[in-house]
Amino acid sequence: MRFVRRAWILAWKDLTIEWRAKETLNSLFFFALLLIFLFQFALGPDRERLSAALPGLLWLGFILSGLLGLGRTFVVERENDCWEALLLAPGDKSAIYVGKLAGNLLLMLVVEAMLLVLFGVFFNLDLVPVLPALAVVIGLGTVGFAAIGTLFAAMTSQVRARELLFPVLLLPVQVPVLLATVKATEAVLLGEPLGAVAHWLKLLVAADVVYVAVSVLTFDFVLEG
Amino acid sequence: MPDNWSFVLAAYGLAAVVLLGYWRMLVRHENDLEAQSAPPSAHLTPGSQTTSAQTGERSHAAPFSGHPRPKPDSRTSLQ
Amino acid sequence: MIRGLGAVTVLALAAGLVAGLGLAPREATQGNVQRIMYLHVPSVWVAYLAFAVVFVASIAYLAKRADAADRLAHASAEVGVVFTGITIATGSIWGKPTWGTWWTWDARLTSVSILFVMYLGYLLLRGMIDDRERGARYAAVLGIVAAFNIPLVHFSVIWWRTLHQPPSLMKPGPGMPLVIVTVLLVNFVAFSLLYAYFVVKRVHLLRREAEAAS
Repeated sequence: MRFVRRAWILAWKDLTIEWRAKETLNSLFFFALLLIFLFQFALGPDRERLSAALPGLLWLGFILSGLLGLGRTFVVERENDCWEALLLAPGDKSAIYVGKLAGNLLLMLVVEAMLLVLFGVFFNLDLVPVLPALAVVIGLGTVGFAAIGTLFAAMTSQVRARELLFPVLLLPVQVPVLLATVKATEAVLLGEPLGAVAHWLKLLVAADVVYVAVSVLTFDFVLEG
Repeated sequence: MPDNWSFVLAAYGLAAVVLLGYWRMLVRHENDLEAQSAPPSAHLTPGSQTTSAQTGERSHAAPFSGHPRPKPDSRTSLQ
Repeated sequence: MIRGLGAVTVLALAAGLVAGLGLAPREATQGNVQRIMYLHVPSVWVAYLAFAVVFVASIAYLAKRADAADRLAHASAEVGVVFTGITIATGSIWGKPTWGTWWTWDARLTSVSILFVMYLGYLLLRGMIDDRERGARYAAVLGIVAAFNIPLVHFSVIWWRTLHQPPSLMKPGPGMPLVIVTVLLVNFVAFSLLYAYFVVKRVHLLRREAEAAS
């Protein structure tokens, strides 16, 4: 249980820091709002065109916000010279990963909820009836995204041109998750039951398991130096 | 359907150019490394420190970068 | 030994060329353009081979910290990216006369393109880390993640495509005539030998560079 406790302490620390300053959350909310405007301006006033693209736009919004949010995960440590403290922490380093992942997941889910509300308002969507199914898809997709995102954020935090390398490395790896979530979201928004997209959901579960497992197993190597 | 030999030629030609290009880059890289390690005696004048500085610089050049490699005569400018 | 390998490679490539351009029959619907397949398919097979080697070498490096494993991973990734690029380019050139378009998001081209960017990112990561040991470690982790991603990419892209379009013309289906299979194999062997030759040379170069830097 030491593992869980360590992970929890780390997650709690991150959440507390965030709750006090609310820097990241506020900025991401603002960013989400701007994205809505961007999508509207880029795709024109034509309602039809926009509604056809909605599932994709929703996930684009999640991903773009996620890139910004995740990219900063380890910056807090770097800026405050705590990176070495992390390295020196006793015991299984993957507890750090799990803690960070939990914090990131919560952050992303909050931002995604904000985006969903904004989408509902601006594009006049009635999301309430499909909310449970949507929540499943979003949950699975977010885990997949945050899992590798946290790993890569740790890796790139020590590398030159971190802000550029992080999305460049993360996005290709996230393609399966993106394809699955957009397709599943499309179906869900049309009112179809989750069973109709079972294969996509299975892919998401497989991806999530693989990503988390590989990250947990390799995180020690990333945090060595 | 017409035979489109030009496309076949383009494809095979492109593959040949890329593979040959990669091969030539490898060979040139190798020759550069050999030229660099072979005549250390020619530069024992003031420049024994400069030699190692150049070596450090060389080993950084990533093969895919297409950077112009430092030419041997550029060493003399580091008087 | 390298020279021997080089010589054998050249012979095999020549054989492959002759087989592809001469021995293989002219295809009924597409005409001779279909001969591009003898470049395109062996290339993608070699690319997958290269990335499999990256995967194994990456694990070996993390387990044993042997610099040789790191060099092998680096070299194999580089050569793999070269062959992936050739796959994409030949696929595009093949697509223009057969489908009328330079690009299409069919299953194979899409998967291979994702592969291309993933491992290009691998090379980029290596290029951006100055510390050799950290670079090796991080690249190994990325090599492992990328390899696990390959089947996920494969399935997601196929499902993404086949719900909208019939499978592509380019896919060599089951029950291909023996002649075509043979020519494909000959070219595959030739390309694999070329891959091996390139990797050996590249590893050699990496070792020399490491020695020169120390």
